[in-house]
Amino acid sequence: MTSTEPLAPVTAKDVPLLRVEGLRTEFRLRNGGVKAVNDVSFDIYPGDVLGIVGESGSGKSVTARSIMRMLRPPGEVVAGSVRLGGEDLLALPEREMRRRRGSKVAMVFQDPQAALNPVMKVGDQIAEAMTLHGVDRQTARRRAIELLDQVGIPDVRTKIDHYPHQFSGGMRQRVVIAIALANDPALLIADEPTTALDVTIQAQILRLLARLRTELGIAIAIITHDMGVVAELCTDVVVMYGGRTVEKGTVEQVFEQPRHPYTAALLAAMPRLDDDRIGQPLPAIPGAPPDPAAPPPGCPFAPRCRFTEDVCEHEPPELLQIGTDGQSAACFVAQRATTDVSVRDPEPAPADISVHAAPEAAVADATTPVLEVRDLRIDVGSRRRGLFHRDPPVYAVDSVSLSVHAGRTLGLVGESGCGKSTLSRSIVGINRVSGGSVLVDGADVSTMGQADLGRVRSSVQYLFQDPYASLNPRRTIRQSLSEALAFRGVGRREREEAARSLMEQVGLRAEHLDRYPHAFSGGQRQRIGIARALARQPRALILDEPVSALDMSIQAQIINLLEQLQNELGLGYLFIAHDLSVVRHLSDTVAVMYLGRIVEYGDAADVYGNPQHPYTAALMSSSPVPSVSARTRERIVLPGDLPSPANPPSGCRFRTRCPIGPLVNPERTICTEIDPQLTLTATGQRAACHFADNGKETE
Amino acid sequence: MADIPLEGGIPRARRLNPTLARYLSAFRTPKGVIGLSILAVMSLAALLAPVLFPGGYDEQGREALTGISAGHIFGVDEFGRDIFVRSVYGLRIDLSLIFTAVPLSMAIGVLLGLSGALSEHLGSAVQRLLDVIIGFPGLILGICLVAILGPGWPALFLTILISGLPTAGRLARGAWLAQQSREYVLAARVLGVSRPQLLVRHVLPNAMDSAVVNAAVWMVVGVYIEAGLSIVGLGVQPPTPSLGVLLNNGLRFVTQSPTYIVGPALLLLLVAVGFSLVSDALNEAVNRR
Repeated sequence: MTSTEPLAPVTAKDVPLLRVEGLRTEFRLRNGGVKAVNDVSFDIYPGDVLGIVGESGSGKSVTARSIMRMLRPPGEVVAGSVRLGGEDLLALPEREMRRRRGSKVAMVFQDPQAALNPVMKVGDQIAEAMTLHGVDRQTARRRAIELLDQVGIPDVRTKIDHYPHQFSGGMRQRVVIAIALANDPALLIADEPTTALDVTIQAQILRLLARLRTELGIAIAIITHDMGVVAELCTDVVVMYGGRTVEKGTVEQVFEQPRHPYTAALLAAMPRLDDDRIGQPLPAIPGAPPDPAAPPPGCPFAPRCRFTEDVCEHEPPELLQIGTDGQSAACFVAQRATTDVSVRDPEPAPADISVHAAPEAAVADATTPVLEVRDLRIDVGSRRRGLFHRDPPVYAVDSVSLSVHAGRTLGLVGESGCGKSTLSRSIVGINRVSGGSVLVDGADVSTMGQADLGRVRSSVQYLFQDPYASLNPRRTIRQSLSEALAFRGVGRREREEAARSLMEQVGLRAEHLDRYPHAFSGGQRQRIGIARALARQPRALILDEPVSALDMSIQAQIINLLEQLQNELGLGYLFIAHDLSVVRHLSDTVAVMYLGRIVEYGDAADVYGNPQHPYTAALMSSSPVPSVSARTRERIVLPGDLPSPANPPSGCRFRTRCPIGPLVNPERTICTEIDPQLTLTATGQRAACHFADNGKETE
Repeated sequence: MADIPLEGGIPRARRLNPTLARYLSAFRTPKGVIGLSILAVMSLAALLAPVLFPGGYDEQGREALTGISAGHIFGVDEFGRDIFVRSVYGLRIDLSLIFTAVPLSMAIGVLLGLSGALSEHLGSAVQRLLDVIIGFPGLILGICLVAILGPGWPALFLTILISGLPTAGRLARGAWLAQQSREYVLAARVLGVSRPQLLVRHVLPNAMDSAVVNAAVWMVVGVYIEAGLSIVGLGVQPPTPSLGVLLNNGLRFVTQSPTYIVGPALLLLLVAVGFSLVSDALNEAVNRR
C-alpha cells in the first residue's frame, strides 16, 4: 500500500508539523480545579524526535492526551491550540478528530500488555487499524505483514496469526508500534514506550524507533521520565515540571548546558555509569515535586531551588529564549544570565566518607560475611502438586553463591525474570529454598525452621520496592514501627523514644508518627520502610529495587540516606536493581545474574570498567546514559528475549542471545555443550563464559 | 541527619480511625441517610412495641377479616386481631433474628475464610466444607433444621446463620489471597510477625470492608429466609406473629380479605429497601477514593 500523501521532506525545518501553543488542561474536581498542564507550547518539525521529559505529576502524559483529545472527564483543555499541519485539532468536531487519530497522529502506550486485545490475533488487530480508515481487508492483511516485518518481528507469516499472549513484552511493543504505523501517520506519540521493558529490550525498541524515523521520515514525540532515553534518541527536548515547560531546546543544548536550575540539578543528581563520585553523596535536590492540586503560586520549582529569589515565589516566570540558538528556559535567574545554574563540579567529598572504601574493605573481606549464600537453588515450579502429579521443578535460581560483608554493598544486577527477587526473598524465608545453603553470620539457616527464621530476621531485614504497597494502609507509622520494635524486645515504654529516634534517623519528623501512610509522599514512605527495617537493628539489609519506584529527583535523596546509614551503622547491603548506574554508585562488589545464574561477579570497578561476560557488556551498553557524548559509543543490542527458566538452553544459558557465541561463531560448539563455570579472569573478577576475554571487542 | 531535607506537603492526619470514619461517611450520603432513617424507625417501633401496644399481639376485636379502615390501617385478621399491631410485633421477631444471626454468621464466616492464613491445607478444607453448604438451598437447609430442632426461632436463627457462612468465608478468603503477596504482608513476615498476629493486625482490617458491606446485604437475605420458611409453615408458630407468618396467613385469606397481605408485605419491603440502601451507601463509601 502506498501512502496517499507524499512525505514531508525531513529538511523543511521552517514549517512545524505540530505546533502546540499555550495549552492548558484542567481537571475539574469537586474541591476545585487541578491545573495539570499550564501554558505549554512547543513545535515538532518533520523528522524530529521530541522528548517530553518530566516526573510523575509534571503533566507530560496529560499533554500527550490533550493533543490526541483523549482526555477523560473531568479533564478538559481550557485554553490553547494544537495545530497539526495548520489545522487546529482542538477545534475539530469529534467525528473529524477520529479520522485524524491513527491516520495523521498515532499513539503508542506504555503497557503493551494492556494495549492489545487478548482475544484477537495480532494480524487482525493491525488490519483493523486500517479497515477503520477505509482500507479493504486483503490489502490490510498484506500491509500488516509488511509492517510486522518492518518492526522486526521474525517469522512474520506464522506470527501474524498468533495471539498477543504468544509474544514477549518487547515483541508486543513492536506489534503496538506496527499498529500505530499502519496508516502512515506523520506523527507518532509514544507515552513511556520502554518503561515497562527490560534494558536490553528497551535498547531494541529505541533502536527500532530511531530506524523508523530515518526510514519513514516521521516525527516522533516521546514522553518519558528517563533522561537517558532522551539523550539516546531525541533531537529536541521539552522539560516539564509542575505542569509547566521549564526548559526547551535541542538535546545537545539542554544536556551540555542546562539553563534551568531544575534540569541542571536533576542531571547532576543522577548516578551515572561513568560516575567518578563513588563514595560521595550525590547532590540531591531537596524536597518533593509539587502536588498538582496545590501548586506554588510562583515558579513551581522555587521551593526546591538553590537560586530562589523573592520574585520566584510570587509570579511564574515565562519561557524565554536564553542564549542564541532557540534554547529557552522559564527562570528569572537564568534569564538575567549572570548566574551559572549548572552544578558542574560536585562539592568536595567530606573527608570521612572516602575512608569506608579502601582500608575497611580489606578487613571486611577477611571476616565472616554477615550474609552468605552457597549454591542456592530455588524451585518455583513444583508448587502445584496434585495427588498423582507433580510439576517438574523450575529453578528460578540455580546454584548461586554470594556473600555480603558488613559495611559493604553487593550489587545484584539482572533483567526481570533472572531470579534476583526470588533469591532475595528466599534469604528471608518468603520463598522456599530447595538446595544449597543460606548462612547468617556464619550460621547455617537453610532449613528455615522457627529458630533459623528468628536468627535471620534479627540480622537481615528487607526493604521493598514499592513504598505504596509495603506499608499497611490501615496502620499508623507508630503502629508499624512499634510492631517491629516489639520483636526486638523493646519494652512498651521505651518504644516511644525508639520510634522517635528512628524517624529522625531516616530524616522524618517524629511528630508525624501518628499519621497513616497515605499522608506521605513516595520518598517519605520509602524512608518509613527503611526505619521499619532498622527497627530490628539488623546487620544486613536486602534492598530490592529501593529507588526504582521513586521520582528521579527523589532517588538521589534515598541513595544518599542509604549510604549514610551504611557508614554510620556498618550495615551490609545486598542491593538489587536493574538500573546499572544506581548499582555502580552504591556497590563495592557486583554480581550480574542471567536466567537464574550468576554470570559475572567481582569488584564494581572491575566489572564496570572491563566487563568480561558478553551479557554484562551488553547490559552496560544497552543502558541509556543521560549525556550527549555517550551517543556515539558503540552499542551492543542483544537479539531476542530471555528464555524461560523452565526450559533453559543447554550448555551456556546465554548462548541463544550471545553476540560472541555460536549465533555468530558457529565453530564455538562448546557453548551449546558445556555449561561454563565462574572462573577468574585476567582483570580480576570472575565470569562464567568460555570466551570471557573476548567479551568486549566482538560486536 | 539534619542535612537530609524533608519532602513537603503532608496533609494533616485525621483524628478518627480512618476505617471507621469511612464507614460513617456512608451515612452522610442521601442513600445512607434514607436507609438508616427507615431502619431506625422500624427498629424503634419494634423495640417499643410492648409500650406502644400494651394489649399485645393477641388482643381480639369483634370483627374479623375486614379490610383497611381508619381504625385498623392494615385491617383485621381472621381472629379479629389488628394486623398492624401484629406486624409491628412480627417485625420484633424478624429484626431480633437478623440482628443476631447475621453479624454472628459474618464473624464466623470471616474467621473460617481466613483460616487459610494459618495453614493452606486448613484453608482449602474449610473452603470445601463451605462449598457443601452452598449446595443446600436455604429452604432445604431450613427444612432439615426444622426437622431436627422443630419449628421456631432457634431453627430460623441457625438457618440464617449457616446460609450466610459461605459468602462471608469466600469474601474473606478472597481478601486473604489478594493480600498474602502484598508487600506489607511480606514486610510483616520478614519482621517476624507470626501468622495469627499477621491475621489480626494486617489481614483482618483490610478484609473488613467487604465483610461490612456483605453483612448489610445479608440482613435482607435473612428477612427473606424467615419469610420463606414461615410461608411454608416452618417459621415461628401461632399465635406468635412474624412478617413471614403474617404473609402466610394473608395468602390463606386472600379471597376473603385481599388487603390482609398488603400491610405485612409493605413492611417487609421497607426493611429490604432500608438495608439495601445502607449496603449500597457502605459499598460506595469503601470504594471511594
